[in-house]
Amino acid sequence: MQKKPLLLLALVFWPCYSYSESIAPYYGYTGNAVADQALRWTMGDILPDPPGLFVDNVIYSYNIQKNVDDTVAVTVFNENANGTGYIFRETDEWKPGSLAGTAINKVVPLGRVHRDLFGLGGIDVEGPGSITDPNVVYTYRIEPCYDPQFDPNCPGYEIPVPVMPEIDYEIYDAVAEGDSDQDEWEPNEEYSDEEGLTEEELAELEEEEDEDRKERLEEALFEAGRAQLFALALTASLMKDAQQISLNSYFEKTIQGGTYDDTVSLKDVQLPDNKGGLRNGLAQQILHQEMVDMQYNKGEQ
Amino acid sequence: MFDKKLAGGLLALVIAVPAYAENTEINGTVESRCIIQTDRAGTYANPNAYTLTTSPTDGGEVARIRVDVTLADAYYVAITAPESFSSSPVLPDIATFSGDTEVDAVSDATGMGSYETNKTELGMTDRYDLTATGSTWFKTSSVATMGGSKAFPGGNYSALVTAECIAQ
Repeated sequence: MQKKPLLLLALVFWPCYSYSESIAPYYGYTGNAVADQALRWTMGDILPDPPGLFVDNVIYSYNIQKNVDDTVAVTVFNENANGTGYIFRETDEWKPGSLAGTAINKVVPLGRVHRDLFGLGGIDVEGPGSITDPNVVYTYRIEPCYDPQFDPNCPGYEIPVPVMPEIDYEIYDAVAEGDSDQDEWEPNEEYSDEEGLTEEELAELEEEEDEDRKERLEEALFEAGRAQLFALALTASLMKDAQQISLNSYFEKTIQGGTYDDTVSLKDVQLPDNKGGLRNGLAQQILHQEMVDMQYNKGEQ
Repeated sequence: MFDKKLAGGLLALVIAVPAYAENTEINGTVESRCIIQTDRAGTYANPNAYTLTTSPTDGGEVARIRVDVTLADAYYVAITAPESFSSSPVLPDIATFSGDTEVDAVSDATGMGSYETNKTELGMTDRYDLTATGSTWFKTSSVATMGGSKAFPGGNYSALVTAECIAQ
């Protein structure tokens, strides 16, 4: 009776559940950060990789070792990676009267501090004493939408646009500057007058100009030929590509159906001769014979 | 003669005289700012026939009690080690008990570091003044010895550590 509405309700809410789960923050904690007696650690070795990681709390414990009359200060800290000082620093002052072997269990709430701010971590002991069994654990949350591009459901998500590569190619231009050995022509350039030259010199100059003109013409024709060849090669390439595309589409065609059986069958045991054919063949034979005979009657006509 | 004015005044007086009594309650709830929890139950080991002990070196385990205080200088905690079994088989003789309570761990070294040296012992009961806010973990050990070096009969033995948080 009530199953159908419940099922529909579940179907309606199912996508919402999936949506919230994929981008919802999730929580975790590290192992013991103190690996050796140096009492120093780097956060890169402790915290997992995701960039949207925020440290919420630091939980630490250790046993103090000291004489009952001594004062010992123990400081647990993380340096500020983006500046001087500390991002977190907690000092326990063990005053006279505290006994050796007493442990401390402490939770230091940090709020929501991004992982990038955590520099070198460590424990300092000041005074005549030491610590044993140190244990420092970080609790953290990971916010997947720290990078909005993580999921299309994240606020601020932008549909990615592929970056088009810029191809550095050169289009041949026969008249472009530097493509020929011709000197650059400057309209405002004033030619030097030819006054003061002798006739021989003028003739020689004119002859040189004629030669230069011929060379320029030859070069221009050569360059034009190159351009034409290039255009032809480009056209041929395009035609080839077009042909290749049509051939591909041809090969991709499939014929519907499987086997095509013969539908024509000869029912008669003996086929009668085609009399019409015989007559036609005979007529051709007679005509041929008449034509052959005509060559012998050539003199008679 | 009947005076109408006087009669009206008397009537008004009679109507006004009746008074209603009402008792109004004042309610309040005080939440304790001292919370005691069993952090770990202890275990008796049986290193010899006539001894039950929580000593870890003999295979036992001490009981661990956690006391959380959110108001400083307002409470003391009294922890009493077991003086008898709460349940046991029928014993052939009287068992004698000894025990002790110590501070195992603190959440504030400066404020709680001297709890152990400042405690008051009265028999099996240890009293600690809770002068700082935070959590303190106490460990209580217990040893039961059968009189006359007789053996403990086989069976299950239980004893209770009593911890009380008392307002000062």
